[in-house]
Amino acid sequence: MPEEIGEKARSRFVTILRRRDAQLLIAILLMSAIVDVMRPQFLTSSNISFMLAGSVVLMVVGTGQMMVIVTRGIDLSVSPILGIAAIAIGFPAQNHNLNILVAVVLVILIGFALGIGNGLLVTVAGIPPIIATLATLSVYGGLQFVFTSGLTVITLPHDYVAVGLEDIVPGIPWLILIGAGVVIMAELFLKFTPWGRAIYAVGNNADAAFRSGIPVRRILFMTYIICGVLAGVAGFVYLCYIGSADSTTGSDTNTNLMSIAATLIGGTSLLGGRGRPLGTALGAVFLSVADTAIVVLRILPIWEPAGVGVLILLAVVTDRQSGPAVRRALRTRHHAEVVP
Amino acid sequence: MSANPAGVESAGMPVDLSADRRGRASIDQVWVWVLVLLLALELLYFSLTATGFWGGGKGMLTASSEFLDVSVMALGLSLVIFAGEIDLSIGAMASLVGIVMAQLWHVEGLNIWLATLIALVMAAGLGALNGFIVAKFGIGSLLVTLATQFIFSSVATAVGGESPPYGFPRGFLTITGTGSIGPIPADLIIFAVLALFIGLLVSRTRAGRSLVLTGHNRLAARYSGVNVSRTLIWAFTLSALFAGIAGIMIAGVYNAARDDVGIPLLLPSVTIVVLGGVDIFGGKGRVSGVIIASIIIGYVTVGLLDGGSTPLTATMVTGIVLIIGLIIKISLDRRAGIAFRDALARFLARQHLGKAPVAPDA
Amino acid sequence: MSATVTEGVISPPKLQGLRYEGTSLRKSFDGAVVLDDATITFEPGEIHAIVGENGAGKSTLVKILSGIYQPDSGTLVLGGERLIGLHPHTAQQRGIYLVPQEPSLMASLSVTENLFVGILRRKRVSFVVDWRPMRREASGYLERVGLDIDPEMRADDLSVAQQQLVECARALVHRCQVLFFDEPTSPLTEHEADTLFDVMRSLRDSGFTLGFISHRLDEVLAISDRLTVLRDGKIVMRGTRDQLTRPAVVSAMVGREIVTRVRERGKRDFTTSKGMLAVSNLTLEPYFRDISFVLREGEILGLGGLVGSGRTEIAETIYGLRSAERGSVEVEGVTLAHRTPRACVDAGLIYLPEDRGRHGIFAEVEVTRNVTAGVIHRLPRRGPLLRPAAERRMAEEATKTTAVRMPTIDALMKTLSGGNQQRSMLARWLLAGPKVAIFDEPTRGVDVGAKDDIWTLVDKLAHDGLACLLISSELTELTVICDRVLAIYEGSVVGELSGDDITDARLGAMVVGSVAQ
Repeated sequence: MPEEIGEKARSRFVTILRRRDAQLLIAILLMSAIVDVMRPQFLTSSNISFMLAGSVVLMVVGTGQMMVIVTRGIDLSVSPILGIAAIAIGFPAQNHNLNILVAVVLVILIGFALGIGNGLLVTVAGIPPIIATLATLSVYGGLQFVFTSGLTVITLPHDYVAVGLEDIVPGIPWLILIGAGVVIMAELFLKFTPWGRAIYAVGNNADAAFRSGIPVRRILFMTYIICGVLAGVAGFVYLCYIGSADSTTGSDTNTNLMSIAATLIGGTSLLGGRGRPLGTALGAVFLSVADTAIVVLRILPIWEPAGVGVLILLAVVTDRQSGPAVRRALRTRHHAEVVP
Repeated sequence: MSANPAGVESAGMPVDLSADRRGRASIDQVWVWVLVLLLALELLYFSLTATGFWGGGKGMLTASSEFLDVSVMALGLSLVIFAGEIDLSIGAMASLVGIVMAQLWHVEGLNIWLATLIALVMAAGLGALNGFIVAKFGIGSLLVTLATQFIFSSVATAVGGESPPYGFPRGFLTITGTGSIGPIPADLIIFAVLALFIGLLVSRTRAGRSLVLTGHNRLAARYSGVNVSRTLIWAFTLSALFAGIAGIMIAGVYNAARDDVGIPLLLPSVTIVVLGGVDIFGGKGRVSGVIIASIIIGYVTVGLLDGGSTPLTATMVTGIVLIIGLIIKISLDRRAGIAFRDALARFLARQHLGKAPVAPDA
Repeated sequence: MSATVTEGVISPPKLQGLRYEGTSLRKSFDGAVVLDDATITFEPGEIHAIVGENGAGKSTLVKILSGIYQPDSGTLVLGGERLIGLHPHTAQQRGIYLVPQEPSLMASLSVTENLFVGILRRKRVSFVVDWRPMRREASGYLERVGLDIDPEMRADDLSVAQQQLVECARALVHRCQVLFFDEPTSPLTEHEADTLFDVMRSLRDSGFTLGFISHRLDEVLAISDRLTVLRDGKIVMRGTRDQLTRPAVVSAMVGREIVTRVRERGKRDFTTSKGMLAVSNLTLEPYFRDISFVLREGEILGLGGLVGSGRTEIAETIYGLRSAERGSVEVEGVTLAHRTPRACVDAGLIYLPEDRGRHGIFAEVEVTRNVTAGVIHRLPRRGPLLRPAAERRMAEEATKTTAVRMPTIDALMKTLSGGNQQRSMLARWLLAGPKVAIFDEPTRGVDVGAKDDIWTLVDKLAHDGLACLLISSELTELTVICDRVLAIYEGSVVGELSGDDITDARLGAMVVGSVAQ
């Protein structure tokens, strides 16, 4: 029956619209369209690939952060992990022409090792993630400073520059390939492997997960390692893209908080159990587009952090689960209903 | 009744310390003593290695001006953490207040004390806003203060402009930064007064009781008649206010107001509160622990900086101290540690004039 | 049940069945013996109920049997094989499943995934999950437990009863043949409980081994084939359903003869007494509508109804935790306009909530501060500072009034038994000097002996003038102690009974909506 099919199609459409990824995509397109109207040079193909490329660092870090947040944790140490990875390959690259493939392996190992530190504190010592990663944030930050001894990476061999700025195929920068690759691998991992599914199980109900045979501690440990590895990879991407690194790399761009912002905007819930790499990626793109829009519209960049703050609040208000309670509170004059 | 508290029988049920008879209260108090011990060790170390520590020159007391701003900030933050929430915006708030005060004085020509007052009132207002959003909308404080941290720091940069004001009047500097009454620095007096206030507030007032119960179980507090919204709002208000006071103290000590001084202080503040024994989930902990922890961390930081380390190294060591402290604390709660903890508690109990337990009716 | 044979659908043949024996199980916590030399056997094809008061050890016993606790001594033998070092996840692998009191599924995951958590089907490449066969099989398992839902639904879109059945299905998916149910009917309506019992019976008929803890004697007597009674950690009675009678079981549970007292004053006419609580047309859709009644001084008015009929919401609205759409509440003739819990307490109206653990007690706080939590603004003080010693005395007196048994008044709330925690809650609210009290399921999760004590206490309070609104889903409780009962069905008052007219039969009919009024 055609009416039924139409009915089904319409409700399918509505369900899709309710999804955060779809909303974000629409928001990104809308924002770009509006800015383009105001400044006609906005949506050139080079600008578009510039914005996409610029979002890759945050995309990669955000994906790792997303997994940690799904398990009801948080990783505040991604900034120095990114930074340490960047300088660990940056100096050898600059001074000794470190092979780029070796560099990639190195950042993965570094991220792995630093992620183990977080994993140990959370799963073995039993320290709440926010405190544990706050501690490692300071420790790793100090290490980053010690390793650079105040120096800065200034020049890089051609390989790195190419990855950062050039296209693999005309029109598609290397960076976008890397970003897309990470997101796709993360989606496949989370949807189709038992460990990926275990992350959601643990985030939803760690107790039931344990009783069903899921090694909760091991999964949590693994999550922090993955986050570390991705932060390390992001360090590589950062180095290639920006072309320099020093003792404040990672912290100067507030990467840890921005990665949380990207994943929250992308639909991940701080209460755990929900979130998708695609959403996080769109969140990162959204922030990147917003960032560029601010520059193009000549809004003072000092207002950018404020904008991010507002976006985070918006994300919560429009969130499927926490949103309704917030919107209800806005309508009534009573305070948030404590009674569920 | 036997003199040995651990063996007392009451109504047929053997009373046993490890069965939480004193339980959490015990661990809270025990932890405070552990911190006191740590502080004593630290002071001993410094008195042996640092010349003139106990008097004259760069002594123990004058050095305290350099870290008491963080201590004040931690005091305010502890209220929010007692309530089971967190305030990430305190760092940005400190900078904001310093800058607003400086601008009002320098650009608007206001009397510096009036400027300070206005800036602090603004801080309180913004804190109340934080609390309001958390209470009314039910959005987690992590999110809210994460967002407001971004917003406040933007505003601070905007208001401060290219070169924020410096060179404050002598009177101001003396009271908030470099002055002292006898050997005691002005900042220490400010801290002591504030510490006493917070300590009494939390443990000996009705408002403090509402705060702690809210942290333990928000729903039960509400059902008991506690006005949870109002409690949260004033907790965040005080947190922001104290952050503002810290901002003023910083401006006084360094004779300048900058937009980037505050945010690095967030980490040490949280470290101090957590190391001080306040449970990150709310309710449990003692203000005395926070006070002692702030002194411990304070001297560690100052000691390192004076020894030639950079601020980042000092932060790193702070992180390590936090990790070690937490591992010790957590192990005191686990099987192996319970025996040790009870022994310590019994030792302390013997120092008190303990009341005999009330024999309950059958 | 006829066996359907479709691809992937489970059609259970009669199982061989596993016998599960626990022998001489003993468990202590910090010096206190909780389970003493317990020996119990679960046979396949039987529903075996474990009954006992709170603190009798039945919860501990079941937790040992399902691996959550390790016994200090004793053995567990499953299907002839000795189980050593049983842990929660190995228990499930060995075939023992515990359906918890509150279903604990993974909220944002699909039902299918919930069923297969931990044993996700893989493709030939073992690290890739294969969703298709799981979805097919899921339908079969759900059908087996009588659930007709789309397996791709999110778990949190299901009702509690449905979630519980999903737990049962999960047990089957994990090939468990021994199922334990921990107070399964607590969150269910009577109808949902019947559905669950049907499923249990069908599983029993298929040869599963079923264990069942409950404090609801009527249910236990209705459904179980065999009973074991625990008291103070020891097994005091065993037998098949046919061998045992209700009074015998109750006796064994309590250790003394319980004579259920009917409230002496049950026939008194309260219409001339002062009206203490007047509720008019209170409405909050979709929970309840047009609720009106007058509660008088010294009267015990019951609100009877099934779980979910809206009574707790009514109480919460009266008490100011929810805002009504319309209607008013008066205490002693004074209308309470902007109601908040504090305003109500100050006006003399208190509320003892149903969910003690979540809404009542502060588990990690000592008894003193728990008891004084309702009167914080009236605590003894000198200037702005509180006086701890005076507060302690205040709390001691209050706990004496309600006979709270505790090691000391400095003990943490979590160390007290359920009954004593409830008494502490009563102490808290009595400190507030109330004139009207709303008791919401006051004897839920409380052992039979303490139940009686609490009823006696409420009776005495009413005798002294307290106007009591008693919410309960236990018909017995309402019959025993109320002067008048309002029956609530799906949010509306459907009937009223007074005095001698209050019987199980009449009330039971009203609360399921079969009598129109």
